[in-house]
Amino acid sequence: MQGFPDELVAVDLGSAAISMRVDATLYPLDALYGAAYVFLDRCYVLLDRPTPTETRVTLSWKKGEPPEGALRALAGEFANELLSCAWRSKINEENRAMIEAATAQALGGAMGPPSLDDLEKFDFTDEAFEDPLGIAMSWEEKYGKKADGTSATRRGPHKEPK
Amino acid sequence: MTEVRFHREIYRGTAVDEAVKALAAYATFDLAEEKDHWVVRVSAKDARRERRVAGELGNYALGLTVKARGAR
Amino acid sequence: MNLVQLKKRSTSFAMPFKHRDVGGKVLITSTEGNFLLLTHEEFAAFASGDVPRESALYARLRDRNFVRAEANVAAIAERIRARKTFIHYGPNLHIVVVTLRCNETCVYCHASRAEMSATHTDMTPEIADATIDKIFATTNPNVTIEFQGGEPLVAFDVVKHIIEKARERNKTAGKRLELTMVSNLSLMDEEKLAYLVENKVQICTSIDGPEHLHDKQRKLPGLSAHKKATYWIKRINDEYARMGLDPTLYHVEALLTTTREALPRWKEIVDTYVALGCRALFLRPVDPFGFADRTGPRVEYPRAEYMEFYRSATDYILELNKQGVEILERFAAIFLTKILGGEDPNFLDIRSPCGAGIGQIAYNYDGKVFTCDEGRMLHEMGDSTFLIGDVGTSTYREMMGHETVQAMAIASNLDAQPDCVNCTYQPYCGVCPVHNHKTQGTIFGRMRESTLCAVHKGIQDYLFEKIGSGDPEVMAILQRWTTVRDRTHFLQTCAT
Repeated sequence: MQGFPDELVAVDLGSAAISMRVDATLYPLDALYGAAYVFLDRCYVLLDRPTPTETRVTLSWKKGEPPEGALRALAGEFANELLSCAWRSKINEENRAMIEAATAQALGGAMGPPSLDDLEKFDFTDEAFEDPLGIAMSWEEKYGKKADGTSATRRGPHKEPK
Repeated sequence: MTEVRFHREIYRGTAVDEAVKALAAYATFDLAEEKDHWVVRVSAKDARRERRVAGELGNYALGLTVKARGAR
Repeated sequence: MNLVQLKKRSTSFAMPFKHRDVGGKVLITSTEGNFLLLTHEEFAAFASGDVPRESALYARLRDRNFVRAEANVAAIAERIRARKTFIHYGPNLHIVVVTLRCNETCVYCHASRAEMSATHTDMTPEIADATIDKIFATTNPNVTIEFQGGEPLVAFDVVKHIIEKARERNKTAGKRLELTMVSNLSLMDEEKLAYLVENKVQICTSIDGPEHLHDKQRKLPGLSAHKKATYWIKRINDEYARMGLDPTLYHVEALLTTTREALPRWKEIVDTYVALGCRALFLRPVDPFGFADRTGPRVEYPRAEYMEFYRSATDYILELNKQGVEILERFAAIFLTKILGGEDPNFLDIRSPCGAGIGQIAYNYDGKVFTCDEGRMLHEMGDSTFLIGDVGTSTYREMMGHETVQAMAIASNLDAQPDCVNCTYQPYCGVCPVHNHKTQGTIFGRMRESTLCAVHKGIQDYLFEKIGSGDPEVMAILQRWTTVRDRTHFLQTCAT
């Protein structure tokens, strides 16, 4: 295919498909997922792993005969999207704290505090967090009298000291 | 018959199962397991339909895998 | 054998910066949006850390916080804070599409207007009331309700209903409320005008240039759309003057949609706007939404041609300014406010993150709610990706917390975007995830292939060339364009 190394991109005109060999060390699987997902509406996408360090991407034209140049365009666009996804993945790793802070602030600022109606709909029945030291237990739960009037033995999820 | 091979490190098994279920009305599916792949053999009434169902199967399984955040 | 000694570059002299060749100089920008234009020699010295402390270059770099040893971190933080104040609040712009019906047919119609018989596309009073509930739930103390269509004057009763209910509601809500309408003006009459003026509704319209161009692109059966629009622009402006309002501040705003036919007619277009008393001209390129998707072969053009048009038109506007004509170019004003003013004018399409959901919401006639006007336009084209709720069934918080809004906030954050993350214009720029989705199939997009990125980069290149030209008269004009005067007359005062 013009413009692509023969050993990396192959065309199967009979199947109206192209297959690309992608170095898995350069393009992590997340990037492949991201790029492949973008193309699901335009073509059939199949990923495979012929060797541990290589992913093969097969893009098949969905309907009828692809117009001239369409398969080449598909390969080119996929390669660009794959690069974009791979780089974005790295950027997100490096800038994660900044992105999370900005997103949290933007959404928090827009949503505002919950109203009483919103709080009414919250489900408080589930345990919110693990409590290995029994900190969230009230004093009564831990030390309160039992129904027969005797003091409760100390309860709690932690073990009694030896 | 068209064979679609889903690599276990790339596709989630449950995604492949769900994709097969979703397309059950359109073809006959024969499932097999190999060391590295889930293999689905697709048989439909004609070659064109078979190609289409096999393609949609791959897309569906990939979509569900991506939605579930990967093969594992 | 001659060996070249490669001198290791200093990594301790400079604060983080990005650079770009612009107009024969090297532009450097910092994270917080400070900038300098350097000669190539100055840039080489800066980049290698070879700037004598007593030199004029050192002083320039220090004063703009480019020198690491003397960086004023508090000032940097304050500058970043000033640029991002919008992030603390919810949507201020609420676009209400009161009907899809329209009496004009525009070749690029982004709104996918409907025929005049399609009365089912008029917003009902019940949906209008539910829309008002959602509008006033915003966390933003500022609220602008913008009436759009189709043609909003077709459903004037709905417009009046919303105005009256909104004003009533604001008596207790206490928002800084403004009302605006985007109209082709062809259905305006004295009665409607009196109502809109009395209720302080700001009016905005479209003018595509001289009459022959405007009427060719905007068909009004049996009539001249241009004649109608220009008549009412003058009438409304006269009414404001009669009321004693400053005409330099109070006048009808007009927008241009640049089609291929407009490209060679930049001078006629600017002259048309000046003759109409407009003080601003927004040289907007055509968008890939609505009818423009189908009429693309007729209206679209390579962005390099748009940039030629933009440069010629804006050069001419600058010349007119030198002759005392007060008119600015809106894109330039938006970028210059960020570049020269260090502030963000909160133009929702050019900020990071963008305003989708968190800065603006679009309410369709049927009660469906979208992240933005572009998202709504896409829905009318059959793609409902950017639907976030319904005024009848969704709460405000549900819509703000919608996963699509979250995705848009992340996708439009330039700190997460390949290319943008390293771009010299990052402090001033913005992306449109809806545009990316439509043109490239992903809300993240690939900026090297984005026509919107090409426009933003092209305009900023142009502006920095002008800034770097050293022409004091041009600098004074550009500074004037950053001045925003409050149009307090249009502020809705709703006495309790």
